[in-house]
Amino acid sequence: MPGYYDMDDILMEDEPISVVFQVGAHGCGLLDPGSETNDIEKGTKMDLPYWLAHQLHLRQAVSISVPASFSQKTKKEIQADAACVDLKGRCPYFYELGCKIAPLVGDKTIGTFLLYAFTDRYKEILSKSHSGPAVPRISSRLTKEESQLFEAARSSMAAFKKWRTGGSRLEKASILGRKRKRTIPLGPSSP
Amino acid sequence: MAGQSDPHLSVFSPPEVEFLAEDEMVEIIPKLSLGSLHMICGDFGPFRPNIASEVPLWLAVALKKRGKCDIRAPDWMSVDKLMQILEAERESPREFQPLPFHYIEISKLLFEHAHDNLQDIYMVRSLIEDIRDVRFHKVETGLQTISGRTHAVKLKNLSAMEVNIVRPFMIRTLQAFYKHDSPHIIQQPERSGSRRPQAPDRGPRRDLRSR
Repeated sequence: MPGYYDMDDILMEDEPISVVFQVGAHGCGLLDPGSETNDIEKGTKMDLPYWLAHQLHLRQAVSISVPASFSQKTKKEIQADAACVDLKGRCPYFYELGCKIAPLVGDKTIGTFLLYAFTDRYKEILSKSHSGPAVPRISSRLTKEESQLFEAARSSMAAFKKWRTGGSRLEKASILGRKRKRTIPLGPSSP
Repeated sequence: MAGQSDPHLSVFSPPEVEFLAEDEMVEIIPKLSLGSLHMICGDFGPFRPNIASEVPLWLAVALKKRGKCDIRAPDWMSVDKLMQILEAERESPREFQPLPFHYIEISKLLFEHAHDNLQDIYMVRSLIEDIRDVRFHKVETGLQTISGRTHAVKLKNLSAMEVNIVRPFMIRTLQAFYKHDSPHIIQQPERSGSRRPQAPDRGPRRDLRSR
């Protein structure tokens, strides 16, 4: 669950969202790298991080358009074969952002779309995650939430396999194996 | 004591599950004469040579390591019993057969420390492996049926180690489905005709309902 100290939640809020300014803003030119003046005119289009776009939207200063990750094109791809879509490349926080953006853009289909995408991709994750020690190709396409799920399954299976094949109960701390580098010379070297 | 290995997932590591399994009782045949042992978990003994006695597995293993007893293999660890269980597991794709809660751990400990007290050890070992594989496959097929409408999963007769393997995955799965299927996110589509141009978007929803 998202919380104030949740690192993933903070990173998610950094996702760029494209917005259109509904009002002119004086002295905010630094937000737009392409702007020549120090003001933003009404109707300017730009990308803002979610946290800023959300606050400006609450004050009705900007209107938010549906991000590319939830566009018709992506929806079509997901409907064709959800497991093959590289969601990590599109938006590593696909589901979290989707949940937050849906009420803002007023698109009621996003919720069902997310559930559909997750249900479909979940089956693929399930069948790949408990199998073997090798990391399958799918793991590079998973979003943050999915890869946590994937890793949870894989690490518990790996721990079980390790326990079953035996090995010593006591493990050496990783720090003990390291060779110490001598930094201080023993004495002045004689010529 | 749960979650020493990972505080966020609150799971046991396999060695921790093995530790819990060591409290199961087994029958031993002592080779020594010893008075009663007064432990926190109870009193065991007195031990007389060749007179069977019930002790926890950890005590049995400790005595066995010192050559002070023979461990008698539990009933279910015979080839006939395991064959029956394997057959039954294969025949009922939706149910798990009753086995001791710690059967994986107990059998591993006995294979490790009491291999000379077990009969047909190779056969027993491979049968237990087969049973575990069949059961785990069932768990996986069961997991596939989880969807947004799932609120709980009933897994009768699942053993400690099997539960422990799927626990982190299953918890996260149920959480994720619960989150994505909450009525807060999935709102009812509007009735007004103004939304009609977006009708093709509702394809996914139709698919979900038919399930």
